[in-house]
Amino acid sequence: MAGLSGVPGAAGPRQREALPAGLARQQYAALAAMRWQVFRNSLRTGKGVLEFGARVLSYAMFGMLGLGMSVGFGFGSFAMITSGHVQYLPILFWVVSLIWLMLPVVMASMQEQFDLGILLRFPVSFRSYFLLYLIFGLVDVSTVTGALCCLGLGIGITVARPELLPWIGLALAVFAAFNVLLVRAIFAWIDRWLAQRKTREIVGAIFLALVLCMQLLNPALYQGRHRGARGFEERVGQEQRAFSKIRPWLTRADAVQRWLPPGLAARAALFAADRQPEPAFDSVGLLGMYALMAGLVLGWRLGAEYAGESLGEAPSRKAARHRKVADRGGWTAGGSGPMAAIVEKEVRALRRTLPLLYAVGAPLLLVLVFAGVFIRNGPTGHTFQLALPICLVYAQLGFTQLIYNNLGAEGAGIQLYFLSPTPIRTVLLAKNVFHSILFVLVALAAGALALLRLGAPPAPVIAASAAWLVFALPCNLTAGNIFSLIMAYRINPGRLTKQRGSQGNALLSMLVQLGVIAVGAAVFSLCWTFDAHWVATPVLLLLAVAAVTAWRLGLGKAEALANAHKEELIATLCRAE
Amino acid sequence: MSAARPPPVLRGRQAVAAGLPAPVWLPPRGLLCLPHMENAAIQTCGLTRRFGALTAVENVTLGVAQGQFFGFLGPNGAGKSTTIKMLTGLLEPTAGTMEILGRPFGAGALDLKRQIGVVPEGMALLGRLTAPEYLHFVGRMYGLDAGTARERTEELLEFMQLADERRKLVTDFSHGMQKKLALAAAVIHGPKVLFLDEPFEGVDAIAAGMLKTMLAGMISRGATIFLTSHVLEIVERLCSHVAIIHQGRLVANGSLEELRAGVASALPGAEDGRRLTLEEIFLSIVGAGGAESAQELSWLA
Repeated sequence: MAGLSGVPGAAGPRQREALPAGLARQQYAALAAMRWQVFRNSLRTGKGVLEFGARVLSYAMFGMLGLGMSVGFGFGSFAMITSGHVQYLPILFWVVSLIWLMLPVVMASMQEQFDLGILLRFPVSFRSYFLLYLIFGLVDVSTVTGALCCLGLGIGITVARPELLPWIGLALAVFAAFNVLLVRAIFAWIDRWLAQRKTREIVGAIFLALVLCMQLLNPALYQGRHRGARGFEERVGQEQRAFSKIRPWLTRADAVQRWLPPGLAARAALFAADRQPEPAFDSVGLLGMYALMAGLVLGWRLGAEYAGESLGEAPSRKAARHRKVADRGGWTAGGSGPMAAIVEKEVRALRRTLPLLYAVGAPLLLVLVFAGVFIRNGPTGHTFQLALPICLVYAQLGFTQLIYNNLGAEGAGIQLYFLSPTPIRTVLLAKNVFHSILFVLVALAAGALALLRLGAPPAPVIAASAAWLVFALPCNLTAGNIFSLIMAYRINPGRLTKQRGSQGNALLSMLVQLGVIAVGAAVFSLCWTFDAHWVATPVLLLLAVAAVTAWRLGLGKAEALANAHKEELIATLCRAE
Repeated sequence: MSAARPPPVLRGRQAVAAGLPAPVWLPPRGLLCLPHMENAAIQTCGLTRRFGALTAVENVTLGVAQGQFFGFLGPNGAGKSTTIKMLTGLLEPTAGTMEILGRPFGAGALDLKRQIGVVPEGMALLGRLTAPEYLHFVGRMYGLDAGTARERTEELLEFMQLADERRKLVTDFSHGMQKKLALAAAVIHGPKVLFLDEPFEGVDAIAAGMLKTMLAGMISRGATIFLTSHVLEIVERLCSHVAIIHQGRLVANGSLEELRAGVASALPGAEDGRRLTLEEIFLSIVGAGGAESAQELSWLA
């Protein structure tokens, strides 16, 4: 932590004042006791017990997932070392880094994160603040999963070459420390950028640019070489030709990646395997420098928080007056009724909520990735027929938080819905309409991407996929409305981290979505097994009619359900962050 | 109002300790309601709310006439906000009935909700909107057409001195600005009954002065205001009638003069004709136990 004394705020007046010896330890104990009391008190209510049960279950699930990946990495690294393909070892380290980086975003609604900002009112030293920030980061899903993956890598390499244990242990420890610090630093900075409109817009623009780049990159890499491929051999030939084209690029990328942390960690192992301790030590040292740099970047951010930075963004009075006339217009949904007002408000709120935009847009990226996978693995060069429905299924996942916690972002504003003469039914209906339009747009985009990348599947697949969408949407909306009323949780839409989350809601919504997907998959597989492809569409449409009926019934009962859970809902969403 | 209005009620520890006579108007045990007021804006009968074993509000029976500026006072945790939440449909009463503008009121009374404006405890703001967007949204939620909502939004922003902050998100507003916005949202639809839970908390003196003028104007045009505040000077200046709730029970209810008359005999020095302040009345009714405790905190600097 010595290197952190230069960060802004760290040298502030509170830092310079000498705190009594043992105070930090006392504060850690108090914080631990507070967390324990919070946990114990959370079990006083049925909802709290359900949350705890869901948390245990989800941690068990992710633990299994982590263990599975750990075993995979273990076997992978073992195979690479024993088969002499050690040059591919960096790939595994890069994958671990990506998992470490991506999981916090994917798992945002699955884990409760503690906002340490509340500690700043107490005489907590910057060192303690930094340390606590790191410690609280250690108990999240990404760290646990990443650590398990590292463990798997370590075991795999050690079993293959036991003499490498000290080196790989050291390299993996520094690599893990780097990842923990990097992830915390990135999300701390993103949260800071999302806190202000100007920086938020810049981050949004960068995000959109990245999306576009990904969209262009994937087709550029794969599309040309698969056009017109008919047989397996022809496809293999195309693959080889494409590979030889990108080989120079890969060589250059390899030269760059070996100086980056995952590459350095892998190189430490490779040098150690070649019995070259000095370069191995250099690699670990450089990796340590990267970790230190990540720590400094994190410290810089936390230092500003610690110093009590103000992220207020009041425009100057002159500028505000200047803008006044221009602002009077503004986008409207048309119509005067509450429905239009709510849709309009939802559009505005979504536009300003990058994490939700990301959640909605991210599956599109993965659709592109899937499309690449299908192109490579499609049977005998023909378009993989079920690629379209699978892409649509994936597109729906981005809507989990929007649909299943559709009141969560209202905060104290939830009271307005109960105070105004607009029935909750209308509020939910408007939100459902907005989410449906958005979902249909994303589904169309996902479908279009899949069609462009893979070509048009047979007509029965297109029809059945559309029918499944008509079935899935009301199913999700029905369950989403119910969960939103009885299991809502407050979210701060401007933050990626420090969210409350609800394991109960997340787990149950995942189960419902899996159920909807399973029904679709069952219909598809039955119809394709019995070669009755066209039957899938009417069956799914029939199910859609039932789902729409259930949605209408659910909406009809929304008022009663809302009134029954009104107090808990208001208490949950009005609770101070 | 005057025909049906009850005389002031004094109960609670202080009243008992002072040996005040039992209020003559109290109905016999079991009969908890006041006679029906003809022009009542708010009337409750035996309003009770329990949270498990805790009774937050117990048998609150009161009437507020139309056009009255009514102050609802009580120490922290006395049940003021719980009462307001029940009166505005945010909380279901465990027992008792309530009428707003002469009609039974419950969560489903949507037509009646159009006549009510509320600044609730949590202010009910939507942080991701700007002030004009929020006011426009609230106006339409209360059934105003888009044009009217937009016009009133502009007027209210000017009035509340928020017009310069139109690009700022509500979540970035200071507490005082949020309070002003919540007040603007509570009146945008021109309510006949206004419930204000601590409306002056965190509002600067200039804005508070404007708000008082606005509220007085509403009263002169026939609106009814039900206000809770810890700033007793403001309540004394604005309200014609006051009720005091203590430990969930209504312990006093009447005009300021009636309350003064009620406690005068119990307060030393009040007999010499000195006009008692609302603070003195309030402390004499709910007690000032905190004063003695504070003296015991010898470790405080």
